[in-house]
Formats: sequence, structure tokens, C-alpha cells
Amino acid sequence: MTKNDTAKNGRRKNGVSYAKWGYIFIIPFFVVYLCFTLAPQFLTIYNSFFESYRVGLTQVGPNFVGIENYKTLFSPDSSGVILVLKYALNTFVLWILGAVPQFVIALLLAIFFTSYRLNIKGQGFFKTVIYMPNLIMAAAFSMLFYTLFSRVGPIQALLEHWGWIDASFDFFSKQVTVRGMIALMNFLMWFGNTTIVLMAGIMGIDQALFESATIDGANAVQVFFRVTMPLLMPIFVYCLITAMIGGIQMFDVPQVLTNGKGVPNEMTRTLVMYLNGYLTNKNYGMAGAISVFIFVVTGILSGFVYKSLVAQYKDPQRKHRERKGNVL
Amino acid sequence: MKKLFAILLAALMILSLTACGGKTPASSAAPEGSTAATKGETKAPETTPAPAAQGKVFNIYAWNEEFKGFFEKYYKVPDGVTVNWIINPSDNGVYQQKLDEALLNQANAKDDEKIDMFLAEADYIGKYVDSDYTMDITSFGFKNADTMYEYTIKAASDSKGVCKGVSFQCCPAAVIYRKSIAKDVLGTDVPEEVQAKIDSWEKFDKVAADAKAKGYYMTASFAETFRTFSNNCTMPWVDANGNLQFDPQITAWMDQTENYIKNGYTLTAGVWDAEKTNEMFKTGKTMCFFGPAWYYNFCMNNAMDPQDGCVGDWCIVKGPQAYFWGGTWLLAATGSDNTEMLKSIFETFTTNEEVVTNLVKAENQYPNNTAIAQKFADDPNYGNTAILDGQNDIKIFAELAKDIKWENHTNYDQLLNEGLQNKLQEFYNGSVDKDTAMKNFYQYVKETYPNIKLPQ
Repeated sequence: MTKNDTAKNGRRKNGVSYAKWGYIFIIPFFVVYLCFTLAPQFLTIYNSFFESYRVGLTQVGPNFVGIENYKTLFSPDSSGVILVLKYALNTFVLWILGAVPQFVIALLLAIFFTSYRLNIKGQGFFKTVIYMPNLIMAAAFSMLFYTLFSRVGPIQALLEHWGWIDASFDFFSKQVTVRGMIALMNFLMWFGNTTIVLMAGIMGIDQALFESATIDGANAVQVFFRVTMPLLMPIFVYCLITAMIGGIQMFDVPQVLTNGKGVPNEMTRTLVMYLNGYLTNKNYGMAGAISVFIFVVTGILSGFVYKSLVAQYKDPQRKHRERKGNVL
Repeated sequence: MKKLFAILLAALMILSLTACGGKTPASSAAPEGSTAATKGETKAPETTPAPAAQGKVFNIYAWNEEFKGFFEKYYKVPDGVTVNWIINPSDNGVYQQKLDEALLNQANAKDDEKIDMFLAEADYIGKYVDSDYTMDITSFGFKNADTMYEYTIKAASDSKGVCKGVSFQCCPAAVIYRKSIAKDVLGTDVPEEVQAKIDSWEKFDKVAADAKAKGYYMTASFAETFRTFSNNCTMPWVDANGNLQFDPQITAWMDQTENYIKNGYTLTAGVWDAEKTNEMFKTGKTMCFFGPAWYYNFCMNNAMDPQDGCVGDWCIVKGPQAYFWGGTWLLAATGSDNTEMLKSIFETFTTNEEVVTNLVKAENQYPNNTAIAQKFADDPNYGNTAILDGQNDIKIFAELAKDIKWENHTNYDQLLNEGLQNKLQEFYNGSVDKDTAMKNFYQYVKETYPNIKLPQ
């Protein structure tokens, strides 16, 4: 008891605690988060158990229907396809198509820009330029692509002129081209952002490590895989997970490019476009069920990516340390 | 410190819980159309008895700039009144969604933020007319004129016959053809002779084959003839029990289009696509376009292009089947505090002789005024030179307008027509087979209108 008292008194005497200010300053964020993010999130889950939509100006429901919306969501259509899974696959494919080049190019650029040996001039200019596409609104960007590639657009005319395609060719009637366009747009919009973040990550690594690795005779590839990547992993995983979350919620680019139709044959329709379809008539029940599905999928995938990548880079390091310890 | 933090967090949690606890009843009560509607209704008489106190802001909801142009040109806004246009595109039902939101909130909105008037199209006018969100036009002293076309009144009236708005146009539609191409294909470009060669679908199909043989297209969009068929349906899209049904006319359109696409008589472009409207340039290879009088200004700008257009190379005939297409109605919104202005707008665009005459003469519209239309139809000196070769198109339209009937319309029409065309377009451009296209259409209906029963 006395011990406790002295500890208390001691703390008081030792000076003012500024820690509370930290908490006070972050209150606004938490209040906003709780009211506008967390509460609606629970509300969405709540809504997904109700039948609630509008026919014209008349509201149907909300009536409690239990898991009926989820049953509808996961019941196969007349040809045996579970639509939500089809759209999930579309989303995934569209994201991968854009994300793979996005990360490869971003990594390369980040390494070029940070290399003390290359010492590229005019970095500020290049960094600005590669970041530029991200500043354009996604909707405007896809409108631009639509105009460029439409049946009466310049690309069609040019390729026809060169004889590469014939007059009946339609960029928007083929899965490959539409998906390609979406992937290209996502890539263009996001590789700059990723480059900048990865550069920051690489610059946070002690340059001496690169130098000593080079002196020890490691070539550029070895330096990249043995030094850069392991040390960059936390930032890389952060980029990957945020990109993935963004990818799962992909909406504006395909929506505007295909005018909400997801042509051809709904093969470019993403999960959120599906959700948006239900919002035409304020179908909060079904839309809520899809949201919950997206939430769960995002959670699982993020967890999986985090676990697998972080574990991979943590283990060799520990082993390395252990080995070192043994030698010493 | 820890304790304080815990208390703080707990307080926040409670706050957020009460916040959403408070929200739930409010949000679940608000969308209930009936309560909001009755509120609107009880409120309306409060604002209307004093016609002297008129609002200073007049809010109009519309989906494009067409009527805005006429309004700004021909209507003199009373002093001190500001007119606000809230324009949302009609595609994918966006206009209706935004309008619905605003109407459901009408009872709670401030007087200056209430919708005073909104525009509605034939495809969904019923949804608004048959609700408490629109106001009886006789309540502010407007009387439908005898010169109005019967169908325009019927369309704007609810199931009890109470009229909620007017249309400034009447939309009998016809075939607008390129004279030079007709001459080449049919050997004549005289309207009467052309009409004789395309006065049934069988003949029209035959001409399409001839046109193809000479390197022309019969129509420039797979959906060009859709309205001609859909307007002659004998049953509505959705029956009284909520079952989706395909009228034989719709199936006939599908068959015709499939055939036209297969044989290359038409293009896979949509009705509003640039690929189609480009066919109206001088260099275009398309013989026939289907549309009413508003089609000139709204769709045929390319034809009127001073450089690449072909003004004067056009004539109009009835075509294979009489029909009407679209039309814009002006509806009075319940709760409007500008009833005097509503009345004067309605009068200006339906009975004001000078304005209506100008709508025909300067704007190439077909008016919702039988007397003035007849005057133009009988005038041997009148001819449309803005786009046609001086032919009296009002004469043709006046004849067609007599037969327009308002029947078999549902509130679902816009999104069902649009959805069917969108999904079938993918079949016509070769990305899917017909079964898949139809499956996609049913899926679309299921998503858009969960209450409609699909044929299984």
C-alpha cells in the first residue's frame, strides 16, 4: 500500500503528464470515425437482414427477413452461376491485371530513383509526371478512354487506317479489350502513387547496407532480393494491402467506361457495380448483404496477405540473427 | 490516466450507439412513402390558400437542357424570382432517383428549396402523376384548353382523372428519310411514292434489302425502330399481378432487328450513340430515321451542320406503322409556393399563340395545340426548311396525332425499355448469344425491380 502511494505521489511530483493531450487531440478523429464509419458499418450489417426497397415512390418494407438476402445472393441463377462470385472473380481479375504491372514498374522506378549509383537527374520532374494521372478524377479519365476507344473515336479510326483492325471491330464488345482498358487505366492512375511510397520506404533503408553488400560482391539483383526487398517488406505489404482494398472496391473506372453496363456480358462488372445496381431502387437489404460480403472478403484477403508476406520476411531475419548469435 | 481513457472510450461508444439508435427510427420512418406523402398533402393546403404570397425561388428538375432553352427564350420570369434548374441525366434512372429523393423530402424542405415544377417523360410519368407529390392543376386555377391533345391530358392525369400537369409538345412520330438515297434505292424521292413503298413492315424489309444491295443502311441503330413497335403494344410490360410480359410487338422488334443485324441492314449502335448520329452527315449511308418533331433539334444536329450536314435532303412520311415517341410533361409539384408562376408557364407553352407559333416556326416543334397545328397544316406557304426540303411536316404530324392513344403504359417502362435494349445490344454486336442476353436482361429486371415476377 505504501509502495503504491509513493508511486502515485512520485508521479505527481515528477512533473506534468502531457500524455492526456495526445488523447484529447485524437478525440475528434475517433468521434468522426465512430459516427460516420463504424456506426454506418453496423447499420449496413443490420440492414442486410431486412427486405427494404422502393418501387417508384412507394417504400416496400423494411421487413425482417433473416438471412433471406444472403440466400438470394448466393443462390445460382438459371444457368447455375452464382452471380456474386462471378462479379468477385471479375473484380479480382481486373485488379490483378492492373496491380501486377503497377507493382513491378513502381518497384523498378523506385529503385532507379533511389539508386546512388544512377543518380538520375530531374527526379522532381519525373515524380510529378508519373503522379499526374492520379490527380485526374477516375470518372474523367474513363470518359477520356471511352472517347478515345469508342466506335467513332480516334484510336479506332487510326487502327482501321493502318489496316490492323477492320471496320466491324468494336473495343467494347470484347472481354480482352475492355478488361485491358480498365487494367491499363488503374495501372496508369496508381503506379505513380506506389512509386512514391516505395521510394520513401527505400530511402528509409540505411544506404550503408547497399554499399557494404556491393563491396561484398553482391550484384544488383542480389542486392534487390536479399537487401532491399526484405527491408522494404513492411511498406510493400502496406502498399499491397491498400491497393487490394482499393481493388476490391473498384467502381468508377469500369462504371463510367461501360456506362454501368459491364460489357461484354457483364464480364467487367465489379462487386461494387453490382451493389450499385441494387441501389437504383434503394434496395438496402441486398446492397447491405453485398457490402457485408465485400467486407468479409477484404478482411480475409488482407489477413492472408499480411500473414504470408510478413511471416516470410520475418523468419529469415530471425534465422539470420540466430545464426549470427551462434557464430559469435 | 488509463481509467480516464477507458471512461472516455466508453462515453464515445455510448455516444455513437445513441447516435445510431437515434438514427434508426428516423431513417426507417422517413422513406415510408405514405407518411411523407400525407405530410405533404396536409401541408399543401396551408401554403396554397394565400396566392398573393408567392415564393422568390422557382426550382425546376429536368434531365436535359431542351426545355430550358425554350423557357429562357419564351417565358418572361416575374420580377424578383430566381429560377433554379436542377439537371440530372436520365441514363440508368439517375434523374428519377434524384427527383424521388427531392420529392420525398419535399414536405420538410424550406419553401425556397421545394421543387416547384419538374419534367417527366412518357416512360415514367405515371409514377409521379399517380402520387401525392404532384398537384391538381385546377387548384391554382389552370384549366386545360380544348386545343390540347387528349392523350397529353390523359397521360398527365391520375387514375381518378385529376390532371397534374401539361405537355408543351405533342409527339406523333414518323420516318425521316434522305431524299438522295431514296432516289437511288427506290427511284423516287417524292414523299407519297416513298410512303407507298414502305407502308408495311414487309415492304420496309424488302426496301432494306435493296438499300443494302446498293451499299446503304436502312436504319443506323439497332433500336431505331424500337419505339414504333413498343408504342403499338397491346399489353403493358407488367400485368396487374406483377408478371413481366413480352408483347408480340416487342418480339416482332427483336426478330426484325436480329434479321437486320444479320443482313447488315442496320448498325449495332444505340439510338443516342455518335456512331448513329454521324450517319446524318452528308457522307452518311443511312436512308431512314425514326422520330417525332423534337428529333430534329435533339438528334439531327449533324444533319444541320452548315459544312458537313445535308439540310434540304430530307423528307418525312408516315412509314410502316403509326406511333408516338416520348414527350416532355411539365408537372406541378405539391408544396410549390409559386403557383401563379406555374399557371403562367403552363399557359405560355400551351395556349399563348405567339409562343406556340414560335415553337413551331423557330424551334421546329410540334405543339400541343390543335388549332395552331391545324393552321400550319393548312398553310400552303408553310414548309420546314430548317432541315427538310420545305415539305409541310406539320401536315403529316397533324394527321398522325389524331390517332395517338395513351394506353398500356407502366411506371417501369423507362428502365425496362432501356435495359432490354442495352442487354440485346450485346447480342447484336456479337459479344453474347441471344439466350445469355435475355438471361442478363432478366437478371437486370430482378435487380432493378424485385417486385416484378419473371417468366420462368
